[in-house]
Amino acid sequence: MRFLAIAFAVGRKDLLSEWRSRELVPALAQFVVLALVIANFGFQINNDNAFEIAPGILWLALVFAGLVAFGRAFAAEKEQASLEAMILTSAPPAAIFAGKALAAGTLLVICEAVLLPVMSLFFGTPLTFELAATVFLATIGMAALGCMFAAMVAQLRAREVMLPLLTLPLWIPLIIVGGQAVQNAIGGGGAIDQALWLLVDFDILFVVLTSLAARFVLDA
Amino acid sequence: MQRYLIASAAAVALMLAASAMIFFFAPTDALQGPVQRIFYLHVSSAIAAFASFLVVAVAGAVYLWRESVVADRLARSAALVGVVFTTVTLVMGMMWAKPIWGTFWTWDARLTSTLVLWIIYAGYLLVRRLAAPGRQAARFAAVVGIFGFVDVPIVYFSVTWWRTVHPGPVISTDALPPEMLLTFLLTMACTLVLAAVMIAVRYRIEALQDAQPQGQFVLQAARRPTS
Repeated sequence: MRFLAIAFAVGRKDLLSEWRSRELVPALAQFVVLALVIANFGFQINNDNAFEIAPGILWLALVFAGLVAFGRAFAAEKEQASLEAMILTSAPPAAIFAGKALAAGTLLVICEAVLLPVMSLFFGTPLTFELAATVFLATIGMAALGCMFAAMVAQLRAREVMLPLLTLPLWIPLIIVGGQAVQNAIGGGGAIDQALWLLVDFDILFVVLTSLAARFVLDA
Repeated sequence: MQRYLIASAAAVALMLAASAMIFFFAPTDALQGPVQRIFYLHVSSAIAAFASFLVVAVAGAVYLWRESVVADRLARSAALVGVVFTTVTLVMGMMWAKPIWGTFWTWDARLTSTLVLWIIYAGYLLVRRLAAPGRQAARFAAVVGIFGFVDVPIVYFSVTWWRTVHPGPVISTDALPPEMLLTFLLTMACTLVLAAVMIAVRYRIEALQDAQPQGQFVLQAARRPTS
């Protein structure tokens, strides 16, 4: 109970500070839209190939937006030295970590709420519940892993380089499964229930592992 | 000192014996010809890499649990050896793929997941360099090592989970003729010995480095505070 209360308090703090400054979400939303524009030039998209290319662009935009969102979550704390202050309290590190991941994940979900409709508008891809569910489930695992490594690299030298280097390889399972599911959801081929359950499995695995690791990563 | 020399010489001798088996005892593959002989060392080094990464993950967990400097040093050594063996696996695989598949690389699930494995543990080695030496480096590396191990079963099962160009398991499915199986098992045993010796030598190097004056300082930082 106390764990949840702390996690929500930390998450609320992060979202509130984002709401007051509004520095990350507008920029990220603009970034994901820009990614679509760049992809259009890079891939020469037309009505024939849009359905094949769209899933790839979706994941690329999402992955890079995620890296920025999760990186910021801890970089800001590090700059203000407020992470140390939080660790000094009696709150369990896993709860602090869960709150940070919750907030950063929520920010990414807001970006997705921009990205998916815009993609559907520009590429003519269907905007289905399955698509949204896939992306949302992948975001949970991405947030857990991304925030853990963000907490780690915030304490390293060369943090901007190290975050993608550590995070991307471990996001790959989520992207493989999610990519397949999105392709099915957009292309209309094959069921995606199995992929969704696999994503749930990955989410559980990564959330459990990261909450176990949080203690060692935050306080090192 | 002497012990390490003897162990290394023994490992080299074993590898030479394995090569003799590979080139003179094992029959030539009817379809692929002599190039199939890459198989023995290719698969053996993959298994040696998996074993090394298992050591990294377990030693990392022990470090997080006990803050044992010995476990951390073991993880450090095994990670380097694991990366070396993954490199060997990838390079030999490419050499084998060129004549058989007509290309060095294809985005097959087994190949891709192995490349990811290499990247993860190369990242592990980078984290060790970039983190503050001592407890931070040891803790972060342990976490990366444990998470990275998630990819090992993915690599192993990739050939069963996805449709791959890469052949599936041949040992458990009993697809090898007895001479090939014997050669493979012997090569695998020799390669594992080689990996163990390499880890031991590396451990010794790490221990000597830790014994340097500045290493002592780092070691103090890695240990559980006594006061």
